[in-house]
Amino acid sequence: MSELFGPSPSTASPDLVQLLTPEGQRVDHPEYRFAVPDADEADVVRGFYRDMVLTRRIDVEATALQRHGELGIWAQLLGQEAAQVGAGRALRPQDFVFPTYREHGVAWCRGIDPLRLLGLFRGVDQGGWDPKENNFGLYTIVIGAQTLHATGYAMGMQRDGVVGTGDPTRDAAVVAHFGDGASSQGDVNESFVFAASYNAPVVFFCQNNQWAISEPFERQSRIPLYKRAEGFGFPGVRVDGNDVLATYAVMETALQRAREGGGPTLVEAYTYRMGAHTTTDDPTRYRLSDEVETWKLKDPIARVEAYLRRGGLASDDFFSDVEAEAEELGAHLREGCKALPDPDPVALFDNVYAETTAELAAQREGYAAYLASFEGVA
Amino acid sequence: MAKMTLAKALNAGLRKAMEEDPKVLLMGEDIGRLGGVFRITDGLQKDFGEDRVIDSPLAESGIVGTAVGLALRGYRPVVEIQFDGFVYPAYDQIVSQVAKMHYRSQGRSPMPIVIRIPFGGGIGAVEHHSESPEAQFAHTPGLKVVACSNPVDAYWMIQQAIAAPDPVIFLEPKRQYHADKAEVDVAATPEPLFTSRLARRGTDLTLLAYGPTVKTALAAAEAAATEGKSVEVIDLRTLSPLDLGPVVESVRRTGRAVVCHEAHVNLGMGAEVAARITEECFYSLEAPVLRVGGFDTPYPPARAEEHFLPDLDRVLDAVDRSLAW
Amino acid sequence: MVNEFKLPDVGEGLTEAEIVAWHVQVGDTVKINDIICEIETAKSVVELPSPYAGVVSALLVPEGETVAVGTPIIRIGEAGQGPAESGQGPAESGHDAAEEQPLTLVGSGPKEAALVRRPRKVSSGAQAAHMQTQAAFEPGLASPQVEAAGAPADPTGISPDPTGISPDPAGMPADSGRAAVLAKPPVRKLAKDLGVDLRSITPSRPDGVITRAEVEAAASARPDGAAEATTPTPAATSLGEREWREPIKGVRKMMGQAMVESAFTLPHVSIWKTVDVTATTELVERLKSHRDFRDQRVSPLLIVAKACLLALRRTPIINSVWDESAQEIVFKRYVNLGIAAATPRGLVVPNVKGADALALADLAAAIGGLVATARDGKTPPADLAGGTFTITNVGPFGMEAGTPIINPGESAILCFGAIERRPWVVGSGAEERIEPREVCTLALSFDHRHIDGAAGSRFLADVAAVLEDPATALLF
Repeated sequence: MSELFGPSPSTASPDLVQLLTPEGQRVDHPEYRFAVPDADEADVVRGFYRDMVLTRRIDVEATALQRHGELGIWAQLLGQEAAQVGAGRALRPQDFVFPTYREHGVAWCRGIDPLRLLGLFRGVDQGGWDPKENNFGLYTIVIGAQTLHATGYAMGMQRDGVVGTGDPTRDAAVVAHFGDGASSQGDVNESFVFAASYNAPVVFFCQNNQWAISEPFERQSRIPLYKRAEGFGFPGVRVDGNDVLATYAVMETALQRAREGGGPTLVEAYTYRMGAHTTTDDPTRYRLSDEVETWKLKDPIARVEAYLRRGGLASDDFFSDVEAEAEELGAHLREGCKALPDPDPVALFDNVYAETTAELAAQREGYAAYLASFEGVA
Repeated sequence: MAKMTLAKALNAGLRKAMEEDPKVLLMGEDIGRLGGVFRITDGLQKDFGEDRVIDSPLAESGIVGTAVGLALRGYRPVVEIQFDGFVYPAYDQIVSQVAKMHYRSQGRSPMPIVIRIPFGGGIGAVEHHSESPEAQFAHTPGLKVVACSNPVDAYWMIQQAIAAPDPVIFLEPKRQYHADKAEVDVAATPEPLFTSRLARRGTDLTLLAYGPTVKTALAAAEAAATEGKSVEVIDLRTLSPLDLGPVVESVRRTGRAVVCHEAHVNLGMGAEVAARITEECFYSLEAPVLRVGGFDTPYPPARAEEHFLPDLDRVLDAVDRSLAW
Repeated sequence: MVNEFKLPDVGEGLTEAEIVAWHVQVGDTVKINDIICEIETAKSVVELPSPYAGVVSALLVPEGETVAVGTPIIRIGEAGQGPAESGQGPAESGHDAAEEQPLTLVGSGPKEAALVRRPRKVSSGAQAAHMQTQAAFEPGLASPQVEAAGAPADPTGISPDPTGISPDPAGMPADSGRAAVLAKPPVRKLAKDLGVDLRSITPSRPDGVITRAEVEAAASARPDGAAEATTPTPAATSLGEREWREPIKGVRKMMGQAMVESAFTLPHVSIWKTVDVTATTELVERLKSHRDFRDQRVSPLLIVAKACLLALRRTPIINSVWDESAQEIVFKRYVNLGIAAATPRGLVVPNVKGADALALADLAAAIGGLVATARDGKTPPADLAGGTFTITNVGPFGMEAGTPIINPGESAILCFGAIERRPWVVGSGAEERIEPREVCTLALSFDHRHIDGAAGSRFLADVAAVLEDPATALLF
């Protein structure tokens, strides 16, 4: 059986940065510390908890909406909340993020109404927000393509003089999100080449959730992912992707390095895809349930809750407030999703170009006339 | 006024564009220190610096993909694919990303990128250096595709393409790079970019070409004149969008059309042009629209390329066939 | 309020699923997103979360049953509502709901391809106007002067535009100064094959496109037997003057040339015979109810045609042609019988190939077909060529006879006129008396270079004899 599925990820922890154990215990690491000098630490951690609970709720709600037939498909992030919130909260406003199609938690951190994420999956648009408003790119479905965009964007930042000035409100960096599967793509490797060659301020953040649909990580690489960076000439670090404190700390360091002109870093967030690749996938066909059970014990939200409760850092009211907020968010998504307007059929022809062509304009007019020629149409 | 080759005209046009807009960047393999394998970007890195004229790693997808990121950041990247046959590694970034970004973002993320590609054969090169892939890009909504055929057009078209808010695949006939010179009046007002150009007046037949075959078409028309046949030649210049207004007007006068390109005839640009001419000029056609072009084989070894490429004789044969209908 | 949850497409194009297991029962209270059942699809087993909160009032599909996407599977009432009346358990399958209304797909998935066209609005505006304009110039609207197999008209005089429609000259791009003419490729080829110069045709379509019919009319106007065409030509000039002019072009020009060629090359002689054709008219009536002629139009023309075909056997020189260049008379062992037909586009003389070999019913069918096709303007060039003898009928105009002009390429033409009741001498001796009889005049024009009076007279007498007494046909 194991030959079919490959070796299970080791239950003994691989070499990775961890600051909060699955049981909710704070631990130290020689190189990384969780520290928020300008804020109240407990406040920040409670904020992480809230972010993760709401992120999970978005995911659960959207999955249910797909089961209700309101979305055509949904890419679930269940289990990856800490990786995304940790990375998301380490950002400064002037940083720019290039997501894949699963970074709903990072979108949340960037202040994007999760309702806007649904349009793509419902089939009413192909990206429902303005990248410039929240410095968060549209979802990219072609695997790995966005890492090159991220590198180019970072090269643009260099030319804009917002790298290495020393001004924390100005210095900026880019985060390129991708998964373990994407790390095999040519584009991802080319982005490493370009980033290294030009010392671009880009942090490559890989959520290694162990599975690329049905293919285990071992099919993508013989060595731990973070070690690849060395081959390209820049640092790589692996962090416990289910540990929001460690992820935050590692990303904070990597981003700061980039902002200061130190160049790229590869951060491998070691996590697990608790759900399916998407709602059309059936993981029971290729992985064993005991593996999933093992990872349930490492749940990212549970350990923070345990930490907060044990340390008396959050009251019962806090937890029920978050729960209530999650309910509201769920309702907002359910109602909002059904109200998302279908695209105007004639608007199909808009925005192909910034300057449309005579041919397209004629097609648009022709189609409008065609639609109007049917009975029952005003 | 200056007499320039196509290569020099492109160089001058690039220089002008970079002078006028600091956001214009050039990127490609060997374009900086070497000035490009065809010297199109000669001298530009020296004057504009390494930050604006960037020698890139040997990775076409990377070149186009980072250009996307630069465009998102507000730059106007002009990237060079060193040879037509090497555009394919970048094909996904071009058709899946560059072409679709404006559309999928509903206009919020424009892609003012120019992708320069030397194309066509007739230079005695080895494999993959003589391709004509334009139809594949013209078939992709979201891209605009143009092809210059002479120094004057090249000088203006490259600047216009750079200034255009949409992505432009800019095809340059490499066999013409260092060939005929022409006077380029840098003070003139050029025709808009996405227009075709009447290259020679005639009455008996309309001959359409673009890029490297414009020269062939003009030579064919000249030879036809000695046989008493008056051939009108139109340089299409823009392949997507096509500017067929002048072509339709011409064929309604002459009643006959022949399209000539180096690309394979099967599903080449000529097929689209023929279909549209047939629809618009049906009552005027004395003969079907004929196409002359590369055979439906991969581009052959250099010593046989003259058999593959449409030359004057084959064009005139098509003209004769049309006239005989 | 009771909410119904329809089976969704849970995986990109799935069309049905099996309800594997219900996780709830009727009467259970459910919250939003509580798992209510498991379904199995072609791809996987999926848990379905409830989209509604409330009390389960009905499970509409039993476990183990497979239903199509869009089938209602569960009803959930608002909290506080009891379950629906007993009996509505899992036994009630979803089919009743499905039959109440058409299944609608919820969510993504392949949609049913349409099998019928959606109804369109009645065309309005420009489209209708275009159709009107086209109709106005369709030849079919002009009053037809042709009766199938009856009496094809052959006007011998000038007739004004019979339709009364004068096309607006402003709409005619006839002389726009363009060198290029407009015509579909097949029409161009036809013109080339028929030797018609497209530039000589004035198009009647408002868009200036020359039609196949116009080319055929131009071609058929050349071989003809009578006067000008009845095609409406471009309008004349202002009214109120004492004279008006019409240009000589197109069909009119071709016909004029043909007339001149025939009339002034062949020495025409016409001989006449008035005949009591009562027996023929009686025969026509009997044939109309004969089963062989059930689908044909039977008229005196048919009998006249047959009489000619028989008479030609005895006087074959009538069916020959003078070949000046070879200095030979060409005798033919076949008869391609031309029937002159006036159509709105002009005079057309299509011929029945090998008419001499046809049985009467077949001859009736062939003539009927020719005339109908001519009236529709669809006579193919092949039908217009190769005639050897022609019949023309001036009867519909009420004329008794005429002096017809021979079709170029032939040597004789028979003209016959109206059949009218006339006083006739019947009987002999003491029985001699005057009776009203059906009477008709036959006129034969022939080429007197090689056909003398004796031959012409013998032929005409033979035709007359058959018409007077159809039994005479047995003698041939």
